[in-house]
Amino acid sequence: MAAETEETEDQEYESRVGASYMLSRLLQDTTARISLILIAIISGMALFAFIDAEFLDYRLAETYLYHPLRNNAGTRPLLPPVGLSNQFGEGVLAHPLGTDTRGRDLAVRLLYGSRIAIQIALVSTTIGVVVGTTVGAVSGYYGGWIDDVLMRFVEILYSIPFLVLVIAFMAAFGRELIYAMIGVSIISIPIFARLIRSEVLSIREETYVEAAQAAGVKDRNILLRHVIPNSFAPVVVQTTLQMGTNILIVAGLSFLGFGAQPPTPSWGQMLSIARNYMLPAPWFSVWPGLAILITVMAFNILGDGLRDTLDPRLEN
Amino acid sequence: MTTPLLSVENLQTQFETAEGTVRAVDGISFDVHEGEIVGLVGESGAGKSVAISSVLRLVESPGEIVGGEIRFRGETLLSFEEGPNGERRQSPESLSNKEFRQRIRGREIATIFQDPMESLNPVFTIGSQLQEFIEINRELPPKDARDVAIETLREVDIPKPEDRFDDYPHEFSGGMRQRVLIAMAIACQPSLILADEPTTALDVTVEGQILNLVSNLQEEYGTSFVWVTHDLAVVADICDRVNVMYLGQMAEQADVHDLFDNTKHPYTEALLQSVPRPDKTVESLTPIEGVMPEAINPPSGCRFHPRCPDAREVCREVNPEPRNVSDTDNRHNAACVKHDVFDVDYEHSTPIQSEGDEFGEDLQVTEGSR
Amino acid sequence: MSHLRYTIKRLLQAIPVLIGITSITFLLINAMPGSPVEVMLGPTASEELIAAAEERYGFNQPIHVRYVKYILAALGGDLGRSIHYGVPVTTKILERLPVTLLLLASSFAFALSVAIPLGIVSARRRNQPVDHGSRVVSLIGVSTPNFWIGLLLIIVFGYHLQVLPSNGLVMPLTPISEVEGATSRLDVLVQTVRSLIMPTIALGTLQMAAVSRIERSSMLEVLGRDYINLARAFGVKESVITRKHAFRNAQLPVVTIIGLQLTSALGGAVLTETVFNINGMGRLIIQAVRTQDYALIMGTTLFFGVMFVIGTLLTDLTYAYLDPRVTYEGED
Repeated sequence: MAAETEETEDQEYESRVGASYMLSRLLQDTTARISLILIAIISGMALFAFIDAEFLDYRLAETYLYHPLRNNAGTRPLLPPVGLSNQFGEGVLAHPLGTDTRGRDLAVRLLYGSRIAIQIALVSTTIGVVVGTTVGAVSGYYGGWIDDVLMRFVEILYSIPFLVLVIAFMAAFGRELIYAMIGVSIISIPIFARLIRSEVLSIREETYVEAAQAAGVKDRNILLRHVIPNSFAPVVVQTTLQMGTNILIVAGLSFLGFGAQPPTPSWGQMLSIARNYMLPAPWFSVWPGLAILITVMAFNILGDGLRDTLDPRLEN
Repeated sequence: MTTPLLSVENLQTQFETAEGTVRAVDGISFDVHEGEIVGLVGESGAGKSVAISSVLRLVESPGEIVGGEIRFRGETLLSFEEGPNGERRQSPESLSNKEFRQRIRGREIATIFQDPMESLNPVFTIGSQLQEFIEINRELPPKDARDVAIETLREVDIPKPEDRFDDYPHEFSGGMRQRVLIAMAIACQPSLILADEPTTALDVTVEGQILNLVSNLQEEYGTSFVWVTHDLAVVADICDRVNVMYLGQMAEQADVHDLFDNTKHPYTEALLQSVPRPDKTVESLTPIEGVMPEAINPPSGCRFHPRCPDAREVCREVNPEPRNVSDTDNRHNAACVKHDVFDVDYEHSTPIQSEGDEFGEDLQVTEGSR
Repeated sequence: MSHLRYTIKRLLQAIPVLIGITSITFLLINAMPGSPVEVMLGPTASEELIAAAEERYGFNQPIHVRYVKYILAALGGDLGRSIHYGVPVTTKILERLPVTLLLLASSFAFALSVAIPLGIVSARRRNQPVDHGSRVVSLIGVSTPNFWIGLLLIIVFGYHLQVLPSNGLVMPLTPISEVEGATSRLDVLVQTVRSLIMPTIALGTLQMAAVSRIERSSMLEVLGRDYINLARAFGVKESVITRKHAFRNAQLPVVTIIGLQLTSALGGAVLTETVFNINGMGRLIIQAVRTQDYALIMGTTLFFGVMFVIGTLLTDLTYAYLDPRVTYEGED
């Protein structure tokens, strides 16, 4: 037992050194640094919107900006961005990105839409990672019929086109945001389960795991102390990339009307409204898509950067 | 003496890395004459493989040949000159890349790679790969090239070559794949074959068969070989002349018998001492102290001095070029200042034996952290 | 022969996946609020009438009995009737399926024909401007929602420049009289191509970007292999090395990625069809969910699953064709 503890400590020591070293290497990469800053800004916006919406009943928005949900009777609808003009009037500085069909400020709507995107990315990816990692680790570590059953199930989940799966899921349970999040986390499960399983299969053969087994360490402890920490790098990379993917999927769902319900703004749903006004108000369609693009791209760049620094094996 | 088949002079190849410039090959010279097998010997990392790639001009970025001259039958394949701004650049006498590819590679100088498992393309049949090289380098129509390919496979003792022609590499064992690689080299009928540790990946019995095969083929065709290896037993077995490399430079160059019987460089001596032989017990083997330093940060003076039993203070300062130290007519070059021709007052320099240990420890640490 | 055996093996492996897809969908549909009969008869129907109808259609039976019945009927080609459209589900699906298949085929053709050369050029000119450019393009490509690309294309080419139709998809075999302004088959085909361009780009961009990323890294890896150096050492031209010696090996991970991209392409088809008002499988399933058309939801999901299984099978076979080691190991 004594040898076991010592080994674990050694490993933890190494991984701590490794993590700070990796972080400093990641920060040397300019694009990765920019992506981190972008994610921080968007997350800050999302947090602001979250607090204001959940706890302050949009008082902050009303005081300092515009109310993101209430119809703005005093403002003309579908105004273009400042400096441009269309059949509804000229863009004004007060609404720099223009207004929507109900005269609501687009910039504020975008700001409050970031909350949905980030919330979805965090919640659904976290559930996907936790459940997927557990399934994959158990499957890979125990093998045998447990592996067969779990992996068959994972493969089936993986085989249903994800948008179709989530739509069917939401048709059954409801169109609210919470079901979108659960649905999207379900489709994230197979990705992590497969990833972890293959990692586990290779780690299981490592000498230190065999040594721990021989020393009589419980399976659960081996999984928690050795197998899962050593699969850390690819999971971090995949988690980051999956955040981006999940934002894209939820935007698509909202566009189809499954997801955050009006008047709560989400980027996908804003696009589905804007779609009906593409001719008179093209800018209305541009901004939400741009917001999605920038957010998803930030996660993708960060994921690529992490992959380069954490785990060169994952080049593909 | 006649013009050598291949003549390499002061060849320098370096790699730009994040940590600095690595002079993997740092000014080596050697000749290969018609019909001889020349050994290129040294530990891993001595720069042997880079030297071979340099001769074929196959050094890939971030590596680059930065100096020296390579001649083949007297024709300049590669040389350098001073540019208008004092920078070194390839001289116009050098063969263009296209000419070099068309006239030299495969046709005049063929090569046998080290790793038979990695050197054959897994998605093509061995026959089609062999046939393609024959078509290119002997300008034969496909059908004739196929016949030559099958004939060559037979010559390298591949059983039922007609049947195996359409098999894929994964259907061959390591030894068989190495035979295929040898077949590729000889089928193009080159004058020179550069063999980069071709038997390292094989087990000893297969290695023996391959060495026999090469000796026989060499007698039959009279092809010259440069045989890269770290194994002195192989050198003794097949080579006519030997070049010993250490850390990107030449340590000793001699006929195979002179090298073994009348060793002139302490490094060669150390190598010989560390090889097990039937007439020695394990206890009498003397391993070389320490490990070879990395080429990125070579020791000052003679590169071997930190590990050298004969090192003296002067060795820290002088990095000797190989010079003829022979007392007979046979040329025998050694790059060690203990020989009188170097005239640097080695006799009166203080031995630095005691510090050798300290260096040795240093180097151990480097190895551990790698 | 070994390829045939491999195909059969893969087909057999697809059966449990299809069973899984149908049972998951069946369970989900049964979890939906209300029963199909209630939807069919409308909110005014009396309880007796509903009970009688449930009895008649067998909805009062336990779920596993209904599932087995559904599967048996499905094997016989009967997927039930669509309540909304009033026709057999198979009829509706067979009407919509070619549209989606054409869209998918066209966008994959677009994606591959752009991505493969782009990835190769990128790898060959690593860290040169061309490479940086193509990497930025693929990064944007994998980060952009495909329906937004569709919207932008419509704004620019449909509304502003008015050069391409932004509504619907003209199938190549549509009767000439039904296509506006068409007097010959050629006119119809021209309309097909014109109406395909924007949906193809919208749907194919993600695939294009994903494939070019993998093509680049895969090509880079292969170009560093010993067997490529061997070919160089024997005087093979660089262009031949790229086209022949490295190409086939480099496509192996690409094929895998294309297989993985299938699910996102099928999901993307739903969005693209919505944006361009194309009546394919994607709009059908949305329609089915909106109208609570149970049999139709079940049938379309099943067909999406089948499309995926067939797509995966095709990529597996391509892989086996490209890499001789696959079937060899399979025979052991």
